Amino acid sequence: MKKTFLTNLLFLLAILLLTGSSASAETTSVCIDCHSGLSGQLGEIPTAEWHTSIHARHRVSCHDCHGGDPTDYVNAMTAERGFIGVPEYAAVPAFCGRCHVGVEEDYRESLHGQVVEFGGPNCVTCHENHAVQVATIDLINEVSCSRCHSYDKPALIKEEISTTEGVLSRLESSVASLYRVGFDIGRLQDDLFSTRNNFRRLFHSVDIEKIRAETAGFDAALEETKATIDELEKTLGRRKIAGGALVLLLILGGCVALLIRRTYEDHK
Amino acid sequence: MSEAPASPNERRTFLGIILAAIGAFAAGAFGWSLFRFLSPVDRGGEDNQVRVTRDLVAIGGAHFFAFQGRPAVVLQPRAGEFVALSAVCTHLGCIVKWIDESQEFLCPCHAGRFAPSGQVLGGPPPRALDTYPVILDGDDILIG
Repeated sequence: MKKTFLTNLLFLLAILLLTGSSASAETTSVCIDCHSGLSGQLGEIPTAEWHTSIHARHRVSCHDCHGGDPTDYVNAMTAERGFIGVPEYAAVPAFCGRCHVGVEEDYRESLHGQVVEFGGPNCVTCHENHAVQVATIDLINEVSCSRCHSYDKPALIKEEISTTEGVLSRLESSVASLYRVGFDIGRLQDDLFSTRNNFRRLFHSVDIEKIRAETAGFDAALEETKATIDELEKTLGRRKIAGGALVLLLILGGCVALLIRRTYEDHK
Repeated sequence: MSEAPASPNERRTFLGIILAAIGAFAAGAFGWSLFRFLSPVDRGGEDNQVRVTRDLVAIGGAHFFAFQGRPAVVLQPRAGEFVALSAVCTHLGCIVKWIDESQEFLCPCHAGRFAPSGQVLGGPPPRALDTYPVILDGDDILIG
């Protein structure tokens, strides 16, 4: 008994150690090792900010944006290893757009994108650089937008998209709930992510007429997703009722078994 | 006039029948749940095969269509050779677009790139695009 317990304990410890070491292996980067020891904008600030970011959560590390070799201390920042470094201000959209292709496309067509060469806003003006977070419509706010222009137009855009954004958030939390109780939500998750991404592309255009014209299409797509979610939630409700009924039935079975036992006692 | 109470044997038989009925019902419910759990998911039987006219698919071009309620694409990389793929990126589910100039798919969400065969060329997608069987039927292409 004691031997079995010790074997199980050792097995658990081995699993913990293995998962721990693989996680640390994935996050080890010579960039972080060196720069976290430096002070200011070349060191502790960007590395600390990056650790709080959505990029860090999805393991998008320094070299994914800045290039270079995250495994070689000596040659990490050489052009031969693809090091890019920090882009010029007007080159930031292209820098981020290497991954965020669709958003860059809509941004380029927008007023923001057309004036970036003259100091207009680029990606980090609204999203920050190393501390980039999951985008929400709260990024459109008076304090942020008023740094460059009046808040009238952004307020209109925010009002226009807030209903659809609200529906998106509610559907995402419904899908998360369905996932927690064991439903296969792969397709729903894909559909929602795709719709959300395309919708957010749209408001990078900062074109109120375009946003008004195209929002209805997104609402229709979300309505279809909602219908599927409603159907799954109904199924869940039916399962709960059936499960409850089955538990009651088993309790009833237990009572009947007790009564049967009593018939033997009466017999004696 | 009152009836004589049932003997323990009679009560046992009666209760045994009730218990057996409850057991049978519970076993049926468990069995049905297990059967449903192990059964393949119904993806909509009527749309199992889609017919696309050959003319719609240019050589080196792509034609997007819906297959089992999901975006799909058929290509003609070389004359008379057709490939049908899911158009849903395997990273996070965005719809890929066909880039004629580079003859590859690009996902607008995070720049996943796929070859005309569906294989990953770059970016974050963890696996190739799903492929569908293609049968040529006269001037039509049967997919699925």
